[in-house]
Amino acid sequence: MSNCHGSHAHGNCKPTGLCPIVTFPEVVNIDEIRDEAPEVKTFYMSFLNKDVEREFRIKSGQFIMCTVFGAGEFAVSLPPSPENDRFHISVRAVGKVTHALHALKPGDKLGVRGPFGNGFPFEEIKGKNIIYVAGGIGLIPLRSSIVHALQHREDFGRIILLYGARSSRDLMYQPDIQIWKQNAGFETFITIDRPEAGWDGEVGYVHQLIDKANVPIDNSVAFVCGPPVMFNSVIGEFLKRGMSEDAIVSTLERQMKCGIGKCQHCAIGRTLVCTDGPVYTYRQIKTLGEQI
Amino acid sequence: MSMYILSSHEIKQLAEELRASHDVYGPQVDPQTQQVFFDQLGDVDALNLEAPIPSMPVKEILFPQMEQVLKYKYDAETQNVEMAKPYVEKPKVLFGLRPCDLSGIQVLDRFFLGQEFVDDVYLTHRRQCLLISNTCLNPFPQCFCVCTHSGPDADEGYDLDLTKLQDGYLVKVGSEKGQALADAHDWKPAQAHHLSEQKAVVDRCIDLFPEMATDNKAWVARVMNRITTGFVKSETWEYIGDQCFECGACSFVCPTCSCFNVEDARMCDGECERLRTHDSCSFEGYARMAGDHNPRQPVEDRRNKRFFCKLSYPQSKKYLRPGCVGCGRCQWVCPGDIGLPNVVQYIRREITE
Ligand code: SF4
Ligand code: SF4
Ligand code: SF4
Repeated sequence: MSNCHGSHAHGNCKPTGLCPIVTFPEVVNIDEIRDEAPEVKTFYMSFLNKDVEREFRIKSGQFIMCTVFGAGEFAVSLPPSPENDRFHISVRAVGKVTHALHALKPGDKLGVRGPFGNGFPFEEIKGKNIIYVAGGIGLIPLRSSIVHALQHREDFGRIILLYGARSSRDLMYQPDIQIWKQNAGFETFITIDRPEAGWDGEVGYVHQLIDKANVPIDNSVAFVCGPPVMFNSVIGEFLKRGMSEDAIVSTLERQMKCGIGKCQHCAIGRTLVCTDGPVYTYRQIKTLGEQI
Repeated sequence: MSMYILSSHEIKQLAEELRASHDVYGPQVDPQTQQVFFDQLGDVDALNLEAPIPSMPVKEILFPQMEQVLKYKYDAETQNVEMAKPYVEKPKVLFGLRPCDLSGIQVLDRFFLGQEFVDDVYLTHRRQCLLISNTCLNPFPQCFCVCTHSGPDADEGYDLDLTKLQDGYLVKVGSEKGQALADAHDWKPAQAHHLSEQKAVVDRCIDLFPEMATDNKAWVARVMNRITTGFVKSETWEYIGDQCFECGACSFVCPTCSCFNVEDARMCDGECERLRTHDSCSFEGYARMAGDHNPRQPVEDRRNKRFFCKLSYPQSKKYLRPGCVGCGRCQWVCPGDIGLPNVVQYIRREITE
């Protein structure tokens, strides 16, 4: 079949020599399944074809198309590269295919195509502070970026995570956050919407953490992911404090069928989220001319 | 490139000969309904080069309405998966393409093959494909290719181009493939007067276009500018959206509409197929995501998407020409009277009023 597998005979080879799986899904094995939060599971997986596994590199911020055999394909954001972390996806069961995915067990197989999309602009932000702001499962797309930033810790100034969820049960990646925290200079601020028995952390909304964390505005970039209400209030706070619209970065979601810029389902105005995105600056998002 | 003059008989012979090694498609008139279809030729006598523009665009052959793009079998017991590629490459000839349809194929080529990724399915159908275009001597009722630079004669993209003249068919060679075909035959070279005759025939055809079509000519460019810069009033889009029945017909008949949907379906023998089907941005569920968030709920948001695709600079940059090739099919089929020429009229009215 016509996936590249390093022979570079395919029309879709990249000059970097690392070519995406474009047409035919590659089979992966589900090694382990972890319950993350209500309705959210993390699937750890590995490629059956070890040559593919060796070639498979994901830039933080990209996405893959994942096939649940018999049910269909869905786009899922940003698993980290196998070299950095175990290859995994975190998925909330919301639709037909993701529900089918949640019914699977270790040893079952999935199909993977990708990676697609532009990824986070790490080259351009060397030397700056990074502020991660996430609401609920908005931490999923930011996770690989945090892992990347911590691996290249010396390239950046302060690294801050502001994270909020509805309740403590909805907080994702708890064990990972503990590990990240041990990293010198990773500052974490976590809040939940309402007080809870046994919770001695912050209570309130994420944008209220900006002051608590004493977030630097100059020479900073903010990566913001979460539900629209949270997104808007956080961005409002940053803009009020004088942060530039180019320094606020987010990822967009759309229905995706192909991942390679052909089916057009993910078009927003003049942009295609699958090939031009999914990472955009707030200035770009503002000028797309369509509802987000 | 070289030019030849062939009799009608020689043209038929060429089609017959190509049939030995290729699937030959051409315009045919259905005897019962008098509808024109661009279908595979079972018999070269059915090839009708004088037939009006086919009801369905030729994109059907390269980008079928419904197609299997993957077949697989997953055994939940043994957790084993087998996959197969169901589409195959076949040499084809598209014989007697109307110039607008030829331009439509160029648009699809640039979109499917010329962007960041190459679409493997389209490439497989397109790879061994000989394109023979056919100059229009008369415009058909809805045609307005004069406004979009895609007719009534073809100026690029063909392997061979035919024009019916007094002495027979003028055959222009447009590619190496076409030249190789000419070299293999003993065709009579054309004279200079044939070329001037062709020019006269094309000029005569252009004169025959209805006034509305030619009148719109300069307006297509101005409307493109408006749509690109976002200066079309939202009331105008609402007016346009109000007339849409969300039937999708305009997308299905358009030679340059290329949106598709992908669905996995179980077949009866336990195998699954991944189907790629034509889709239309007019449908309500077009942009709906899992969890029922629909960023394009109102119909006018979806209608202006279609006209943004056909008439805007960012999209034209991908196609290297306007997305509309002026075939007029959408005008023909739209039950709501918002075919592309009408939309140009509405926006034009907004500008002038
Ligand atoms: S928009 Fe209408 S007139 Fe233009 S190419 Fe498509 S179907 Fe033909
Ligand atoms: S639109 Fe132009 S090229 Fe197409 S059939 Fe009509 S006259 Fe011919
Ligand atoms: S053919 Fe007309 S009514 Fe039907 S979807 Fe297209 S614009 Fe709407």
